[in-house]
Amino acid sequence: MDFFDNNIKLLQNHDPSLANRVKGIKIPENVKITFSKEGPPVPQITGVSLHSLYHPQKEGQQVIRNFQFQDDSRTVVFGLGFGYHILPLVQKGEVTVIEPLMTIFRAFMSSVDLSPFLPRVRFRIGETPASLLARYEPLNWNIFRHVPSVRIGESYYQQLEKGVETRKILSNKSLRILVVKPIYGGSLPTANYCIEGLRNLGHEVESVDCDKFVDGFFELKDITKIKGNAEILSQKFIGLMDEVVAAKAAEYRPDFILALAQAPLSPEAINRLKELKIPIAFWFVEDFRTLTYWKEVSNSYDHFFTIQKDNFHLELMSKGVNDCYYLPQAAHPKIHRPIDLSSEQNKQYKADISFMGAAYHNRVQSFPRLLGHDFKIWGTGWNLESPLGKRLQNKNKRVATEETVKIYNAGKINLNLHSSTFHYGINPEGDFVNPRTFEIAACKGFQLLDHRSDLINLFNVDEELIAFHSLDELKDQIEYFLKNPDLRSVIASRSYTRVLNEHTIEHRMQEMLLHVFMNRLDLLKRIEHSRPDPLAYCISKAGKDTELGQYLKSFKGVNKFSLKTLTNDIHNGKGDLDDNETLLMMLDQLIEEKA
Amino acid sequence: MTQKILILNLTRMGDLIQTTPLVQGLRQKYPDAQITLMVSSDFENAISLIPGIDDSIVFNLRQFKESEDWEDESWVKIYRYIESKLNDIRGKSYDMLVNLSHSRFSALMVHYLKVNNVIGFHCNNSGDRMTGHPWMQYFGTEPFNRSFNEFNLVEIFSRSAGIDPTGKEIQVTENRYPVSEDKFLATVLNEAKNDLVIGFQIGSSLENRRWSTASFARLADLLVEQLNARIFLFGVASESESAEEMIRKTNRKNNIVDLTGKTDLKQLAVLLKRCAYLVTNDTGTMHLAAALNTKIIGLFFAHAHPFETAPFSSGHLIFQARISCAPCSYGVHCNNIICVEKVLPEHVLSFIENYEQHNNWKLPYDLKKSQEVNIYETILSSQGIVRLKPLIKHEININDIFRLAYAVLWRETLDEELKTDKDYIQENLEEYTYYNSQLLIDIFSDKNSFLEEIERLAIGGIELCERIVKNASKTQPASIKLTKFGEDIDRIDEQIELIGMANPELKLLTDMFKKRKENQIGSDIEKLGIECKGYYKLLEKESRRFRVILSVHKEIILKLSGYNTHNSIKVCVPGR
Repeated sequence: MDFFDNNIKLLQNHDPSLANRVKGIKIPENVKITFSKEGPPVPQITGVSLHSLYHPQKEGQQVIRNFQFQDDSRTVVFGLGFGYHILPLVQKGEVTVIEPLMTIFRAFMSSVDLSPFLPRVRFRIGETPASLLARYEPLNWNIFRHVPSVRIGESYYQQLEKGVETRKILSNKSLRILVVKPIYGGSLPTANYCIEGLRNLGHEVESVDCDKFVDGFFELKDITKIKGNAEILSQKFIGLMDEVVAAKAAEYRPDFILALAQAPLSPEAINRLKELKIPIAFWFVEDFRTLTYWKEVSNSYDHFFTIQKDNFHLELMSKGVNDCYYLPQAAHPKIHRPIDLSSEQNKQYKADISFMGAAYHNRVQSFPRLLGHDFKIWGTGWNLESPLGKRLQNKNKRVATEETVKIYNAGKINLNLHSSTFHYGINPEGDFVNPRTFEIAACKGFQLLDHRSDLINLFNVDEELIAFHSLDELKDQIEYFLKNPDLRSVIASRSYTRVLNEHTIEHRMQEMLLHVFMNRLDLLKRIEHSRPDPLAYCISKAGKDTELGQYLKSFKGVNKFSLKTLTNDIHNGKGDLDDNETLLMMLDQLIEEKA
Repeated sequence: MTQKILILNLTRMGDLIQTTPLVQGLRQKYPDAQITLMVSSDFENAISLIPGIDDSIVFNLRQFKESEDWEDESWVKIYRYIESKLNDIRGKSYDMLVNLSHSRFSALMVHYLKVNNVIGFHCNNSGDRMTGHPWMQYFGTEPFNRSFNEFNLVEIFSRSAGIDPTGKEIQVTENRYPVSEDKFLATVLNEAKNDLVIGFQIGSSLENRRWSTASFARLADLLVEQLNARIFLFGVASESESAEEMIRKTNRKNNIVDLTGKTDLKQLAVLLKRCAYLVTNDTGTMHLAAALNTKIIGLFFAHAHPFETAPFSSGHLIFQARISCAPCSYGVHCNNIICVEKVLPEHVLSFIENYEQHNNWKLPYDLKKSQEVNIYETILSSQGIVRLKPLIKHEININDIFRLAYAVLWRETLDEELKTDKDYIQENLEEYTYYNSQLLIDIFSDKNSFLEEIERLAIGGIELCERIVKNASKTQPASIKLTKFGEDIDRIDEQIELIGMANPELKLLTDMFKKRKENQIGSDIEKLGIECKGYYKLLEKESRRFRVILSVHKEIILKLSGYNTHNSIKVCVPGR
């Protein structure tokens, strides 16, 4: 009997993303299914049986006999097989099952009834170790290893084990991270969010604020129209920025350098930074087809993070890139959040349909079809004389992030049409998901967005987000959702929860660090031991049970701990100075006087 | 009855010596008290020089190596040191604490020690530095109004501790150093046996406060040539380079003994005592020598201001440039120190020659008309307090008048009312000339009207405070009204402050008012209102009294200038 169709229905209710992913997989040829003497089926891969060919269920009971459940940890099973070892665990609580091979899962879906597994089992199939640890399963793990599965997926599970260790070290150790910001452009806000995200994770972060040189950069562009000379000036400027980054890095001695898209770093500068013997990564938060400068720099970096995969990764690998990793955009909930708008603001920003973004070709072409609605537009580059321009609210002036948040909060329907410079409307091949998707969701805004192939990996489409495949479909959706405000609100709440749980900038930064350091555990351990955590060191010096030690403990988790952390806390606090605080203020004064 | 007194002085050697009149006064006021002096380890040796001290505490932060980065985690051990040291002190239960250090560090230390009776800077419970005594409030405003200050820091500190400085001078205990057992010292002294020994202290803590090595070298040559003097060069080891530079510039190297970096404090005291004169920048060595009764020729440049830090003992000579920018304002970094050029080696030589001849600081004839230098002698005034008497009769300026008038005002108002009689004012004013006094008289009336404006504002403040108190004392105070009153008070204070800003001569008065208000603490509106009313009343009283004092000055100036006018050809010619 093939359980697949029934199982898909079941799975659709619990994990529609996974259901959609497995639907596209054919019955695998490399997984052979035989029936045990007892009856139930057993999968075999390359001649290895994943369960007993005699009594798979009995074996399943036996192997978990010594497994101890822990209240403060999530039970995580390495290896799916056909789940005979999982069912006894499910009796005792919720379980996450991690399996690298989608083929196994596909065979399982056809061969085993899913109903006893749900809803207590969460399947994590074919996810990278870093995304699992950072994005999907952030709690502590209590691991059960299904030995035959672990043997088959040896390298994957080894990575996962390293990742668990890396995560443990990172949770106790502040890294020193240098972020190189772009001079200007769309990735600049992302750079700022990265800095805050990394700090929120407890790391020390310094930045090279290339954006402070923006006036000089544009002034240089206007110096001459002679192309050759302009090129020389531009190179000199980039050369200067290289030196700025090198000087900053030489002083700060970071453990990791992250450069954001359009950061002005030449391959020569990246090679010089490598003398620090630390990982250097680039997050290319751009469409690789639109901006192509990645070709010149990509193989200089140790790690190249992208918001697109598949074709882009194939191209990167063909250029000799050491490591490329898919890391989608995210929201920064400190900025992108639900807010209460005053009646005046409501009047200003409320609309049936809102759009915030630049006047790309596909938008200019397709938006006139929506002019019959209460449609407000904010952004830059719009033709003020056109009918669309009449709907523009900001006269093409730059819209501040705070104002964007108000727009997302106020609009009944936030339209999110990914940009294209040549499509008439929707890019049928669109893959990556833009930051706006996450940002609107983090504001608890309702959005209609054009279909993107990556959406399926990030959201439950139709549950958390509504996507359109054509402008006609968009018009229908608009009509429908304007009439159903409660449904809009339910969907917006779901996408909001999803973003907070999986798609914040902290999730991305954690994933990035896990990916970078899980194969550099030796370096991470050296960092851990060579530079003791300042707070832990101070607590040990003060004596953890002393009054001072107890006081210091209350600063656990504070970013970049130093004496200044304490004195700033005292300055910002209320009430009378106690003895500890008085002594700390005295020390602070001594340091100031010495300075 | 006060049994145990702790004096906290974590500053420098000069400041320690300047503490001595205060210690002397405390000893007289509390004869049975045990007085403990707390100093930093750099000046541990100076403790034995301070008379009247029973016990001492040394605060040693030097033990933590310079190389240690205090901002990193190693602060915990410094924290523990301070904690343990202060807990020991706390355990000794002092009855009174006198803090003569003005740093926030010391104020926090005072807060930690929890002594009931505190004099000097301390902190409130939120850690804000408080000044307490009115004379300490004055000390807090004086640096920003230096031209109008007549008081030596010794007088300010003494008065803030309730000690009358009348008749008191700095002093040190008799030095019982066994010179004969010290070969080095014995040799130096023996070689100078029959010489006129003159000490030079050519360094000072700040570089731009130093007379040039060329000037010191020229003076050394002149002293050797004219008086066959032997020159002792004093200073710490870091000043040896300057000493060598100075010696290179002299022609009389044989008569110069370089003692920089070669003496400890006790040896220094012996050698200073041996000197007939010490020519010095404003330094701790100057105060020590003055306390040893060695005649000082003090050179005050840049920020150094003789009215604040001249030796608090009589019979010394002080030079300071009389130019508009002297002394440098607080916080200013001068990059063109012209004041040092106004004092010439020949000036100093003439005075020493005169003193050798007449046994007093007779003004040399060629300096009588010198316009660009102030030369003062430290004297005991007819009130019995050490003050600076100008030796050159300069044309009086508005700052001189206000400085003298403020001295009268603050002595009257800041603690026990010390009345200054008209004769004393006249005595001081007679130290100047009055050829251009008409201009001054105009300024008088101008300032008088601003003082009246201050009084009017102060009365407005009093009325507002009364309303606040009345409202706050109700069972259900109207918060909107209180907010409005608070805003009105802010407006009045802003206007008072503006008058001070626009009239530098009155700024000390308005700053004192501001400083008092800064010291207000608590959240009880009624209580705050009552306190605030007191400040406005005080401002009104001080302003009114200041007008009277100024009118007395004006009257005397008119009299003195009439005498001058009568003897001059300065007649106002219409149209000229």
